[in-house]
Amino acid sequence: MKNKTLIYCLIFLFILGFCSCKEDGEYHSIKDKIENEGKPYHGKLTSDQLLMDSELIEITAGEHTFWIPERKGQIKSFACTECHNRPVAQMKGLEGQKAHWDVKLNHANSEMMDCTTCHNGEDMNNLRSLTNQNIDLNLSYKLCAQCHFSQFEDWKGGAHGKKVAGWAPPRASMTCVNCHNPHSPGFEKRWPVQFNTQKAIERKEGLDH
Amino acid sequence: MSDNKKWYSLDLGQNKQKEATASCGCGKTEGSCNSQKTELSADEFYEAAINASIGEERHRDGFEQVFDVKMDRRTAFRKLTASLLIGAGAVSTSCSAVIDNKTKEKAQIDWEEQFKGNYKLMTDEEKQGTINRLMRSYELRTGKNISMTAENAEEDVLFGYAFNISKCQGYMNCVSACVEENNQDRNSQMQYIRIHEMKDGQGFKFDNADDNYYHEVPAEGHFYMGTQCFHCDNPPCVEVCPVQATWKEEDGLVVIDYDWCVGCRYCMAACPYDGRRFNWSKPEVPENEINKNQHYLGNRMRKKGVMEKCTFCVQRSRKGKNPACVEACPTGARIFGNLLDPNSTIRWVLANKKVFRLKEDLGTEPKFWYFMD
Ligand code: SF4
Ligand code: SF4
Repeated sequence: MKNKTLIYCLIFLFILGFCSCKEDGEYHSIKDKIENEGKPYHGKLTSDQLLMDSELIEITAGEHTFWIPERKGQIKSFACTECHNRPVAQMKGLEGQKAHWDVKLNHANSEMMDCTTCHNGEDMNNLRSLTNQNIDLNLSYKLCAQCHFSQFEDWKGGAHGKKVAGWAPPRASMTCVNCHNPHSPGFEKRWPVQFNTQKAIERKEGLDH
Repeated sequence: MSDNKKWYSLDLGQNKQKEATASCGCGKTEGSCNSQKTELSADEFYEAAINASIGEERHRDGFEQVFDVKMDRRTAFRKLTASLLIGAGAVSTSCSAVIDNKTKEKAQIDWEEQFKGNYKLMTDEEKQGTINRLMRSYELRTGKNISMTAENAEEDVLFGYAFNISKCQGYMNCVSACVEENNQDRNSQMQYIRIHEMKDGQGFKFDNADDNYYHEVPAEGHFYMGTQCFHCDNPPCVEVCPVQATWKEEDGLVVIDYDWCVGCRYCMAACPYDGRRFNWSKPEVPENEINKNQHYLGNRMRKKGVMEKCTFCVQRSRKGKNPACVEACPTGARIFGNLLDPNSTIRWVLANKKVFRLKEDLGTEPKFWYFMD
């Protein structure tokens, strides 16, 4: 008899648990919730206001369409042809002021890359792809993507790089050269900007553990 | 202010005075020419204080709505003491002939703030009321203005965060930006974000991690990863709060009403991620460093003895901006967005990168994922 009561109790509890689970309308995991309730966001919040002062161009890369900052207007020495009025080969021997003394190439090694790997010596206002086609300076990500294809994939999706402004649509992402100096794309070692002296003291006093 | 408030209002003559000034014969511009009208006798004051504190049982204030229990003597007594203190202040100012209008207004604000309900249960008007009072009170105390908002969660938004472990270099720009954005106490050097320096090849060993390094980074043979409040979808910290001062908003942010928190620190003990920070001392920020764009649930000034933590910068994210840490990170290791939007970049990360969360088996469902390149 006692056993029976126990079993009834258990069954009752089980049913109760089952019901409450359903009734709550809650999902079992955040992943289910996201997938079931998700839909493209067209709500009140947008990044329009935040992006107002940025010069942007719309690009489509793969299945992603988004905005990136315009570049040519940001380069002080553009257009290049203002100085490079003839092909580089012809300018080389010329007497004259040295330019670009501040550019030190620190990108791969000299066996792999020199200026003309990316710049088109015949047409200085444009970049040059591996197959000798022109790439607009505004779309320089295409040049980078030739070698850095996995980063390119991540960047298109949004896993690599930063947004220009907020999270809300429309999406505007920084392009490669907004964070990386194309002539020296790596990040330098440096001191962290923050040091918590309080914690150091506490640790010395043995309060930490 | 609405008439059917959940707490007793003490009128210190602020409102009456405006009508009365014309007919006021005493010629004083300040002080007590009509304070007689509003002056409370000791008995009246006592009645008012009791009414305002334990009289709630009749008014069914926010506290009651939540718990629906009779207050025990100890709680009643505590509230009564606090009320008496504030009441005493209010009455002494209202009776005084020398104290100016500003002090009276301040006392009135303190009174209203003391007896307001839980923010979670407030109507939009009440929310507006409390932030207006807080802004005015700041102005009265410091002579400076702040802007405080009380935006509610937006529909169809659920905030989520992703952290790229291979990108983080330990520069700590995020920590700095967070401290500045969220007005964290400078004396105790409170920080919501921790960046852990871990040895390569040993996995996540938080015990052995150094989260207070100071040398050039990235250090040889180490990697870096950050933790903060993960805004769990099933937050244990919320479960344990005895007064429901912390809760999960519709957009997934786990927030704290600093005015409702009693500082018991249960939530701190319940959080498996070291996400919460307690104000052991009065938080202080130099006036010129205060971020004046504030949200009630976010970076407004806290007081001693209350809990605080990362809010995904509610004052920014509910305006469509990224949290300060995301904006400050120089390596792009931090990604923030709307989990419900299938076109958002965070959703792309979740779908295309190999993501994981900390202590997933606890079932806390953090909305903070880690991934690697
Ligand atoms: S990380 Fe901790 S404080 Fe944040 S929601 Fe989860 S349990 Fe609560
Ligand atoms: S410290 Fe505050 S928020 Fe945390 S459990 Fe206690 S009352 Fe609730």
